[in-house]
Amino acid sequence: MAAAGGLRRAGWRLWRGRAVVRCQLCPPQRALQASAVLRRVSDEQKKEPLASSSQQQPFDSHPPDHQPEQDPQGPRPSYTGQGGQESEDYESEEQLQHRILTAALEFVPEHGWTAEAIAEGAKTLGLSVAAAGMFHSDGSELILHFVSECNSKLSQLLEEEEKLVQLGKAEKKPTDQFLRDAVESRLRMLIPYIDKWPQALSILLLPHNIPSSLNLLTSMIDDIWQYAGDQSTDFNWYTRRAVLTGIYNTTELVMLQDSSPDFEETWRFLENRVADAMNMGSAADQVQSTGEAVVQGLMGMAVTIKNLSGLNQRR
Amino acid sequence: MEVAAAARAARRSLGPARALRCGPGLRGRWPLSAGGASLRLCSTRATLEGINKPLVDRIIRVDHAGEYGANRIYAGQMAVLGRSSVGPIIQQMWNQEKDHLKKFSDLMVSYRVRPTVLLPFWNVAGFVLGAGSALLGKKGAMACTVAVEESISDHYNSQIRSLMEDDPEKYKELLQVIKQFRDDEREHHDIGLEHDAEAAPAYSVLKTAIQLGCKAAIFLSERI
Repeated sequence: MAAAGGLRRAGWRLWRGRAVVRCQLCPPQRALQASAVLRRVSDEQKKEPLASSSQQQPFDSHPPDHQPEQDPQGPRPSYTGQGGQESEDYESEEQLQHRILTAALEFVPEHGWTAEAIAEGAKTLGLSVAAAGMFHSDGSELILHFVSECNSKLSQLLEEEEKLVQLGKAEKKPTDQFLRDAVESRLRMLIPYIDKWPQALSILLLPHNIPSSLNLLTSMIDDIWQYAGDQSTDFNWYTRRAVLTGIYNTTELVMLQDSSPDFEETWRFLENRVADAMNMGSAADQVQSTGEAVVQGLMGMAVTIKNLSGLNQRR
Repeated sequence: MEVAAAARAARRSLGPARALRCGPGLRGRWPLSAGGASLRLCSTRATLEGINKPLVDRIIRVDHAGEYGANRIYAGQMAVLGRSSVGPIIQQMWNQEKDHLKKFSDLMVSYRVRPTVLLPFWNVAGFVLGAGSALLGKKGAMACTVAVEESISDHYNSQIRSLMEDDPEKYKELLQVIKQFRDDEREHHDIGLEHDAEAAPAYSVLKTAIQLGCKAAIFLSERI
């Protein structure tokens, strides 16, 4: 574990200089790339222990513990196969990034969604602050990671609720109540970071982040509707999701400017919007039934005219 | 740019790890990741383990759109020829298409596939095609049926081929459904031929035009 830290630190310098391969690679393949780099680095590290230790000094906040790591115990047998069967000590690059970003979240209220927060997070894991160089300098990955984690938590929450309903231990909520609760639980996850959230939203709107953030948003909305029991297979599929996305986004914006105790204003706003959406649904139904009645009336008129003019008699 | 690529890969690797539970949000064809969550199967949702989700998405989306369009075509034909001698036959074929549509709607819900955005358009276009071909007479309606059913059965055949190439065992249920429906559509095609479709006015032109339209519809519905 100690040697792995030394390997990684030298590895990041090498890694930053490399062109990152296409993101289409599956995780096992990316881990293969990462392990290849690390193994190569471990060879090189034997040749340059002095250079690395002198460079570590300015960055390292725990010098006494980590100096001995400059003597690697030989290249680690880090990767044994393509099927994802990895030895316990090795973790893939994604898992490491995941850990760093998770650790970085606690520094966000202080530093904002920036590389500083990531650097602090890396420090708490015992890595060099240079590990923050793995990530984009505007903090995009940190925000995307946070959003992704929140969405997972929401899915988990909704699934547990569904299980309770299936086991008969809870009542099935009516749709508007369900949507309200789901959006509220998801928005409540923002509360610890609410001061810096406007910054995060603006970063998520940067062009290079839009595909990812849109993807995360749409999958969250789809999840909520899925658990709400939506089984539409026509255009309703789109209108429902569009409406819920609108509700979610506007409620999020209201929340950013809400200063009432425990965001009461926000939840009231949410309740009103959901009620509007439900009314819109029933209004749409009414429009449709009116339309159908009108069409039937017109068809009746057409048949009458055909009968009167004798067109109906030749079949 | 490269770090953004790494970020996207990181995000997507996080995605499957949380998504490989009972249904929610499995996007993209990721195999089970090494540290991924365990997979639990729900009774209402189809197993999403290891299947090629984009492929199945496309197949179900376009088949659903196709059956919906066929439904509307027969509805259009019935509106014009409902009280003629071929009325009962068209009605019977229409009922079968309704069953097909119901089956694909169920599959759509269980595989969590989104419907094509063009459904309202196919609604109108199908009805207009059916009514228009029926206004050309009974043979015109039959010619339209022949053209459409031939397109659809060719299309089902190529889907069956791609599923078989991937893994016949994983897609057993889906394959069974598509094979059954392909046989039904072939039957409709033969019924159309039996009722003098080929004697319709401008048969070859009509057939080619309709089949081109079907190809375009299939292309669009798979993607949009």
